[in-house]
Amino acid sequence: MSPVAQNPTKNPLATGPAKPSRMQRAGAWSRRMPLLPALIFVILLTQIPFVTTIVISFMKWNAYYPDEIVFAGLSNFVKVFTDVNARQAILVTIILTVSVVVISLLLGLGAALLLDHSFPGRGIVRTMMITPFLVVPVAAALLWKHALYNPVYGLFNGLLRLVFGENAPQPDWISEHPLWAVIVAIVWQWTPFMMLIILAGLQSRPLDVVEAARIDGATGRQIFTHMTLPHLRPFMELAALLGAINIVQNFDHVFTITSGGLGTANLPYYIYQTFYTAHDYGRASAAGVIVVIGTIIIATFALRTVFTIFNEETR
Amino acid sequence: MSTTPAPVIAPVAPEESRDGAAPLRADRTSLRPWQVATLVALLGFALFPAYWMVSTALDPRASTRGGSLLPSGLTPRHFSFVLGDGGFGAFLLNSALVAVVTVLISSAVALLAAVAVARFRFPLRRQILVMILVAQMVPLEALVIPLFLQARTLHMLNSLLGLAVVYLAFSLPFAVWQLRGFVAAVPVEVEEAAYVDGCGWGQMFLRVLLPLVAPGLVATSVFSFITAWNEFIFALTFLQDDDKYTVAVGLQKFFGEHTADWGPIMAASTLITVPVVVFFLLVQRNLVSGLAAGAVKG
Repeated sequence: MSPVAQNPTKNPLATGPAKPSRMQRAGAWSRRMPLLPALIFVILLTQIPFVTTIVISFMKWNAYYPDEIVFAGLSNFVKVFTDVNARQAILVTIILTVSVVVISLLLGLGAALLLDHSFPGRGIVRTMMITPFLVVPVAAALLWKHALYNPVYGLFNGLLRLVFGENAPQPDWISEHPLWAVIVAIVWQWTPFMMLIILAGLQSRPLDVVEAARIDGATGRQIFTHMTLPHLRPFMELAALLGAINIVQNFDHVFTITSGGLGTANLPYYIYQTFYTAHDYGRASAAGVIVVIGTIIIATFALRTVFTIFNEETR
Repeated sequence: MSTTPAPVIAPVAPEESRDGAAPLRADRTSLRPWQVATLVALLGFALFPAYWMVSTALDPRASTRGGSLLPSGLTPRHFSFVLGDGGFGAFLLNSALVAVVTVLISSAVALLAAVAVARFRFPLRRQILVMILVAQMVPLEALVIPLFLQARTLHMLNSLLGLAVVYLAFSLPFAVWQLRGFVAAVPVEVEEAAYVDGCGWGQMFLRVLLPLVAPGLVATSVFSFITAWNEFIFALTFLQDDDKYTVAVGLQKFFGEHTADWGPIMAASTLITVPVVVFFLLVQRNLVSGLAAGAVKG
């Protein structure tokens, strides 16, 4: 009966004993003490840079004018929202994130469902499916840009020549479809991640219930829409949330494949440019804060799921 | 004794017989032809670019390969060029140093912090958890500014250690969240039993909790490692000297100097990917179950 084992008072399920005695409480604190530095370290290291970003976003701070660092109110945010490039970057970020998450989630779902069947070599196939996730992003982006998309030496146009002969169309993939070039390359990298989480969800599905449904005459499609999908929902939401958080921040692919040109500059690239080229720390920070707010808004739905789980297991 | 709500799935020791070498649990129905075709197509999509990378790295006439599916021959020449003149030996060492420091510190700190948030009730506990999650949503590019200024003040701009501290800040939120699920999944009764048997907190931690959350530690260390190994923008902005470059920056700079030499570029790409693959294969048994358990527990 230690106070450590008690439910938080917020949990209505708590059936713990009455208030612990002072001695028990002292014992609990001696158990907590070793953890305190770690927790404080985590909080400091993860929060201070973010808080500093927020502070800088309210300041007029350009490295070219080091003597004019003053409080600027909301002017940086106004600048970001009225800047055509920034608005374009926000739009690109949304399109990029939504397309990549949706496509890679569907591909990952498909792969996970297929891998849930039994066939020889399944473990090996699964490991091979994970490969794209393991390639260093900069290397993957270089690979897509040059070895695959390149109009002269690239694989895609080489294949077109192989199939359609010398008169095959030879599109310049990146300049004709810049955004799609980036999207496909990121989808390639992120599909395995989605697959892994969904597959883990499938593995935790109670199969006896599925068997029972099958015996009762449920078709494969019925089992999928009424049993498998509802079971997978929290897993897919979590995969989408984690994926979205990461893809909103994608910089490596945009920087490597298009260098932010051809209308593919997303917010991270915009921040990078504002910071390194314009040296406008205030405006770059404001854009960063906007990304965070946007991410939180998008993630709220998924977060809610996370917190229902969270509520269930607090003790 | 408190009630222990049934976890969504039981993630204690979830690694057994589910993944990796052990047989996966499976739907008993076998694949239909269209499903096989789809799987092959997905596999092709996943593997072909990677195959292309490796085979081009080995192709003696890599620059003029075009669409030929098989390399014109096999040669280690590009690899030796990259490691020798390209200086990738040093880049690999730099990255390994940064990644190992990040993994060790973040695992230790995140585990202790995870125990704190999973086990103990204290004011603002929930708020702290949300703050940690929000920290994960801040784009790296936004953090570049304060961290760059900070590192410049501390004269850690051109230092691998400074980079490791930055990566620590990135890998900690995910690690804390992931490990929190694992710690929460260990029944409190197990800890109680250890105390009853006369263990102190330290002994309980080392002998009871640590072995039980080991799969979670493996999963988080993989992610910390990959975070540190792959990271690009901070390495690009922090490191000024060639001899300090990590692999991602090294590759980018190397590419700038050898724009059309596909062989060496793909060899370098392959070379820097190999450690990730090796690390992953070593721990993949624990990884998927770890990811799942942590995922379900939030």
